[in-house]
Amino acid sequence: MTATEAQDAQGQLASAASSEVIIELNKVNKWYGQFHVLKDIDLVVHKGERIVVCGPSGSGKSTLIRCINRLEEHQQGDIIVDGILLDKNLKNIDHIRSEVGMVFQSFNLFPHLSILENLTLGPIWVRKTPKIEARKLAMEYLERVKIPEQADKYPGQLSGGQQQRVAIARSLCMNPKIMLFDEPTSALDPEMIKEVLDVMVELAETGMTMIVVTHEMGFAKTIADRVIFMDEGDIVEQNEPFEFFNNPQSERTKLFLSQILSH
Amino acid sequence: MSMVKAEKTAARSAPLIESSFIGWLHKNLFSSWINAILTLVSLYIIYVVVKSLWIWGVADAVWVAENRRECFDISKDGACWAGVILWLDNIFYGRYPRGELWRVNLGGLLLILWMAPLWLPRVKDKIFIGLSTIFLYPFLAGYLFAGGDKGIFMQLMITGGIVCLMGNTLHSLIGVFSGGGLPEFLLGLLGKKDASDGNQRNTLLAILAVTFVAVYALQMSWTVEVVPWTKWGGMFLTLVISGIGITTALPGGIILALGRRSKLPVIRVLSTSFIELFRSVPLITVLFMATTMFPLFMPEGFVLNKLVQVIIAVCLFSACYMAETVRAGLQAIPRGQYEGAHSIGLGYWGMMGLVVMPQALKHMIPNIVGSFIGLLKDTTLVSIIGLFDILGMLRSISQDVPWRGLHKEPLIFGAMLFFIICFIMSKYSRHLEVKLSAGANR
Repeated sequence: MTATEAQDAQGQLASAASSEVIIELNKVNKWYGQFHVLKDIDLVVHKGERIVVCGPSGSGKSTLIRCINRLEEHQQGDIIVDGILLDKNLKNIDHIRSEVGMVFQSFNLFPHLSILENLTLGPIWVRKTPKIEARKLAMEYLERVKIPEQADKYPGQLSGGQQQRVAIARSLCMNPKIMLFDEPTSALDPEMIKEVLDVMVELAETGMTMIVVTHEMGFAKTIADRVIFMDEGDIVEQNEPFEFFNNPQSERTKLFLSQILSH
Repeated sequence: MSMVKAEKTAARSAPLIESSFIGWLHKNLFSSWINAILTLVSLYIIYVVVKSLWIWGVADAVWVAENRRECFDISKDGACWAGVILWLDNIFYGRYPRGELWRVNLGGLLLILWMAPLWLPRVKDKIFIGLSTIFLYPFLAGYLFAGGDKGIFMQLMITGGIVCLMGNTLHSLIGVFSGGGLPEFLLGLLGKKDASDGNQRNTLLAILAVTFVAVYALQMSWTVEVVPWTKWGGMFLTLVISGIGITTALPGGIILALGRRSKLPVIRVLSTSFIELFRSVPLITVLFMATTMFPLFMPEGFVLNKLVQVIIAVCLFSACYMAETVRAGLQAIPRGQYEGAHSIGLGYWGMMGLVVMPQALKHMIPNIVGSFIGLLKDTTLVSIIGLFDILGMLRSISQDVPWRGLHKEPLIFGAMLFFIICFIMSKYSRHLEVKLSAGANR
């Protein structure tokens, strides 16, 4: 199935969402010191659902997805990922992190390891996959992000777009159930944004559960099952993309959309 | 206004001034009148200094003489190297019995043999070789140097050391010549290449056990006579103390640094106060504390020899300094690296060992080697508390009746020795830096 075939009349990917709940946030609150970043966040994500989170900077969208794999600790409320409640139990946290892939704005590849070693590190040390298999797996994913020829280079030798694709492949090597993207294209030159978005669209086609924080509204229109708009720590509005962009309900959403769509 | 350049500009070679020797001279030494004069003046100063040093140290120097008076009779203004030369054994080995010097030399040779594979290409399992050096070599060398009765534990460790050394050496030779390793070679010899994993493992374990028992039986009858630590001295003693200090400094420093950055308050406070305590006190004070105060706190009759006390003090001291070096290196690693490691499910130790430490250590190499060099030089302080290390030996030449008053030459000789060792260390660190940063920093 190609991207065009899978898109319906509105130019949208067919939804892969099932009824099975994979992430559940109940009244989640978080403070940085006295600053209230997340306010009573309730969110349910179904398996295979693709969610785009947008909002002005400082609205808590990055913090939200970083709480899901516990890169940030929330102070109140429950976060349940894949049936496991996130608490102080380190074993649970490590397990959740191995099931939840994350792609960062600044790539965070390991500069002292070659591309192939970056990809095999997790499978070998966390999943205990034999080295040869891990390499095979890594090469498969490098093919999927279309840079198998860079396998023996180091991250510093690659362009930003290539590095971000490696970072996506690195997460996929862990065979995650959920992928989190924290502004994956914000640090890239315009000509590199497309190559990364293409990879993400292909990933969406495979039915991966994705939560993407991004300002790429075109991308949101194409792949999202649901768009979430956050402002000042609140989820202000959430809707399917067509309704969200064409018929926003709240004033804050309207203002935000008019600002980013005006040019 | 529009402009189009139809053809590419061809690359030309750089102007001569960039590449030729005359060009280099002109650019770096004689670029202006003032610089030309400065160059000439500097050359003159260098000439004068080197010439007088040459005349004193080589041309007019005395190399063979019985005592200092004879030196003066032969050449009044030259250096008297004869004293240093006659004392060479003392400078290197202290008062170690002359008949037993081979033990010290053998110990040094074994270390070289043990570590050499680490620098050879094509040798596999270098981590194992390195670890076995740290954990087994000290027992083997310790017994060689000290001698005496062997307890059961020492016998086991010595046997382990010998077996390991033989294994390492064979493994490396096979690695260099055929690119394989010892296990594959042995299995090939026995025709078990295609046997199951379990079978192969059992065969290898059996070979290991047989070798171990054989070596154990052989070494039982091997003893060397006791050489009390009071007889150790000279360069040998300096290298023993600083060598142990250096090998324990890095692991100790890493543990203390991680402790200081720990989230657990008890561990953090303990590590921090330990580090700060040792860092705020000069080494000589730590040494005095270790040798004079420490026994006061111990139960009566508990006697630790002075050398062990000194070594423990040096280790703690160097570990605390190393801890700060490591901490600085850790702080240079961006937070994204920790998060990247977490995001693929690595736990604390995996993150530290696979992602953070390798990068941090690479940044730290110049500082680490710097503190190693510092430690090597600092160990000469033990001569103040009555151990005859190299400095103690060099200074006692002037107390020796035939050479009374011979201060300059031994100390200059010592300075040259230290310079050579430290220079090699710093060159090697530079080489490591370049080698390790290949690829990553491009």
